[in-house]
Amino acid sequence: MKIAAILLLPLLGTQFKPLPPGPGRALAETACFACHSADILVQQRLTEKQWTATVEKMMRWGAEVKESDKPLLIKFLATHFGPENRFTPTKTKPVR
Amino acid sequence: MAMGSGLNRREFFLCAIAASLAPAALLAGPERHMLQMNGYPQNAETPLNLLTDYITPNELFFVRSHWVPRMPDLKTWRLTIDGEVDHTTVLSLADLRKMPQAEATCVLQCAGNGRALHAPVVPGVQWAYGAVGNARWRGVRLRDVLARAGVRDTARHLHLFGSDDPPGKVPPFHRSVEMKKAMEDAILAWEMNGVPLPPQHGAPVRLVVPGWAGDHWMKWLVRISPQVEAQKGFYMETAYRYPLNPGAPGVTFRPEEMKPVTDLFVKSNITTAPMRAQAGVAHTIRGFAFSGAPDIEKVEISDDDGATWRGAALDPRHDPYAWRLWSFQWSPRAKGKVRLLARATDIRGATQPRDAQWNQSGYLYNSWHSVEVEVV
Repeated sequence: MKIAAILLLPLLGTQFKPLPPGPGRALAETACFACHSADILVQQRLTEKQWTATVEKMMRWGAEVKESDKPLLIKFLATHFGPENRFTPTKTKPVR
Repeated sequence: MAMGSGLNRREFFLCAIAASLAPAALLAGPERHMLQMNGYPQNAETPLNLLTDYITPNELFFVRSHWVPRMPDLKTWRLTIDGEVDHTTVLSLADLRKMPQAEATCVLQCAGNGRALHAPVVPGVQWAYGAVGNARWRGVRLRDVLARAGVRDTARHLHLFGSDDPPGKVPPFHRSVEMKKAMEDAILAWEMNGVPLPPQHGAPVRLVVPGWAGDHWMKWLVRISPQVEAQKGFYMETAYRYPLNPGAPGVTFRPEEMKPVTDLFVKSNITTAPMRAQAGVAHTIRGFAFSGAPDIEKVEISDDDGATWRGAALDPRHDPYAWRLWSFQWSPRAKGKVRLLARATDIRGATQPRDAQWNQSGYLYNSWHSVEVEVV
């Protein structure tokens, strides 16, 4: 069976937001953006311990992270997307 | 991470560019928008104040994707039925369309709808209110398709396979649904609200499981397989599980101390209420209510923090496992901030609780819904 198309995204007027600047940002972009956009990181609100478990799970699932880069990546995620972080969904362009 | 087979970086960035070029001319109506939870994979919920119709329009229906999906070619699409059957059967869409057709109007709710409202915080897509909708699904009864393949009595679980292969080493989204439910009222649907199933909702064919959470409603179906045992893997043995004996908020359980999420919990939401109201003047409050039971018995409203409740009027439109729209004429008695509460009771006698049961994955949130109104 053929696959006709990878589903395109403009159905909802999808918007993409960058990750905040800081040490580890490039690592997160490389490791995470191949499979999902930044929104899913922003909304997790995890502790450093929970981020460690999440990063290790994602590495098992194929995320490209060198073992030596792992601490900086976890620090970046825990610093910006910890339990106190607020997430507001992005209002899409109007749909009809 | 390496993309899934067939999706290389160039294709991926083409997708991203296409997304950013959504033609504004095709989009109209300033009030009708979605709430993007994730750009890709596409996850979006409906603003609660737009969920006011009995039938949720397709363009406003929430979208849940585990990863960037790959839609089968409609011309070459086939559904394979194998496993505990007398003869492996392969059917085209045309074959399915020749069979007796069936229709169901019912609620589809993501198991994680309301996850953002749990405390303590639960990781995952932070759905608030709008990962739910009510649609008219048309297709063929699953039991008719399984009978055509000669399903055997030994089958207890129907394994479900879609075409959306995950990237990298991510576990595939393989699920199973109990045969008892599958044979009862599940539908293989190719239409949603009178039009061919939209790509993001699982074209050409998805499973419809009335009254059960969305994790069973497999999209982009390519294979179904009756089996003796339930499906294994991450999305059965770790995810989409609910504690057998839930504990206090924050208490987590091992997978074996949990069971798969199945039918929905009773729930109502307020979709229409004024931000400011005048004391002594009647205002119409509206909302919807649904459950894993086929119908709602009553919806009640309180303006005194649950001390007293008054019944809302249920809309006569109904189908089994669809939501009930409701309305309530409310005349505020005193000035000041008032918290309006809604709770529903289903025909099984289950009543929406003040506080939903916290669970580590944030499934099936159904606390009383409240809105604050300034009475002047």
